[in-house]
Amino acid sequence: MMQNHMGAELTEPEAKLVDCYRSLASTLQMHGEDLPPFARRNALKALAALWQVMNGLDMDPGQVYDLGA
Amino acid sequence: MPRADIDALQVRKLRNLVEWADVQVPWQSKRLRDAGVTADQIQSLDDLKRIPLMTRDEWMQGQLEAPPYGPILAVPESAAIRYHMTSGTTGKTPIRVLDSMKDWEWIAEMWCYGMWGFGVRPQDALFIAFGYATFIGFWGLHYAGEKMGCLVLPGGAMATDARVKTLVDMGATVVASTPTYALRMAQEARALGMDLASGPVKRLILSGEPAGSIPATKKLIEEQWGAKAADTAGMTELGTIMIFECESQPGGTHIIEDHYIEEVLDPDSGDPVGYGELGERVVTSFGRGFIPVLRYRTRDFVVRVPGSSCTCGRTFDIYDGGIRGRVDDMKLVRGTNVYPRAVESIVREHAEIDEFQIHLFTADGIRDEIEVLIEVPDPAVDVDRLLESLGRDLADAHEGLRFGVARADDGTLPRFELKAKRLVDERIVIGSEGERRGQT
Repeated sequence: MMQNHMGAELTEPEAKLVDCYRSLASTLQMHGEDLPPFARRNALKALAALWQVMNGLDMDPGQVYDLGA
Repeated sequence: MPRADIDALQVRKLRNLVEWADVQVPWQSKRLRDAGVTADQIQSLDDLKRIPLMTRDEWMQGQLEAPPYGPILAVPESAAIRYHMTSGTTGKTPIRVLDSMKDWEWIAEMWCYGMWGFGVRPQDALFIAFGYATFIGFWGLHYAGEKMGCLVLPGGAMATDARVKTLVDMGATVVASTPTYALRMAQEARALGMDLASGPVKRLILSGEPAGSIPATKKLIEEQWGAKAADTAGMTELGTIMIFECESQPGGTHIIEDHYIEEVLDPDSGDPVGYGELGERVVTSFGRGFIPVLRYRTRDFVVRVPGSSCTCGRTFDIYDGGIRGRVDDMKLVRGTNVYPRAVESIVREHAEIDEFQIHLFTADGIRDEIEVLIEVPDPAVDVDRLLESLGRDLADAHEGLRFGVARADDGTLPRFELKAKRLVDERIVIGSEGERRGQT
């Protein structure tokens, strides 16, 4: 099971959102410049929203300014 | 969340913030290094006091030296999506800020804390009585409303009568405004022959002025709207709110402690004050990475009490009475301290007063005088008795200081949409304020 920084176990849907955030961040990191402009901007907007989920779950999402969010 | 967990969370976030500021902002890095502070040294909240305090004057000076934003940005300007500035009501150089897409999601998130905590839900219709310009004001609340799934009714660029008609016609259940403007809209509704108290509005979210936590003002607003009112407070320097009043209305505002560290210090010595003591708010914010804010002196007076003093179940501590006033608000009149908030709390005990102004002036070229001007539109009111009663109440609350109280013609005193400025100081100043207080 996935745990947050306080040692609390995440539920399955919470863990899926964490995976989603990490996948999105990774995609933008590696392929952001290859995406069509609006696809990239929409993905960044989704990343900015999921950052709040990560923060709320105490998963320490770090900073995402370098990705453009 | 138990206090020990809040502390642990804050320490970890503080360490990350110090590291971010140190690496990304040379100006911050120098301040931290000069104080001998590095991120890896942050082990407990006791280490917070080693971080230098930051002032608005430093921020403004930085802007003047490196316009337009100063040396405080952690990210290139090109990463920003929005620009805002302080309201300018103090007459000082406005603080200019930038935020990214992620920062704006966070700004809205903080307003979501406040709105949800006060009982706002997705099925609500939210009317925002706000001008939507460069002042950040209720922008974050607008996005929070959308995020929560409310129907957002933007009330920008409208005259007061149009706002009142719109919010009634559209069935708004929640209204956001300054406390002053909530009263102004109620006045307008009366003039239009509309009874707000029997309308659909159930909640008012107040911000922008300390009056949202003045019991007499709040009571007046709640009576005139037939709705519950809750105080919130935010700052452009942080982008959003830091404190909110929950649905239990404990007579104060919860601090959002998983996103901020709030200290309360003696404004003169800088030493921490305990629960129940008046001091100055100093804030550290974890949310806005574009402009890292460490130990910012807000100049707000607050009294912190434990979260357990509220029945809502939140463990976040509370500022009893919200923002009690500004360090800079105090006026010395013939040796007596006068706070505009204290005057307002007395004036608002008299519901028949529609608007008021505090006027300070110099009599005979040497003597400070204080006068309160009031508008009383109802012809049935015994004005002479009201003037006498109000003057006596004001004097009793101010060590016997003599207040002039006079009636102003209806509609002649200024009305405000944003932050009200009801104190007009036209005294001839001899020496500095410190000298006037005998402090130099």
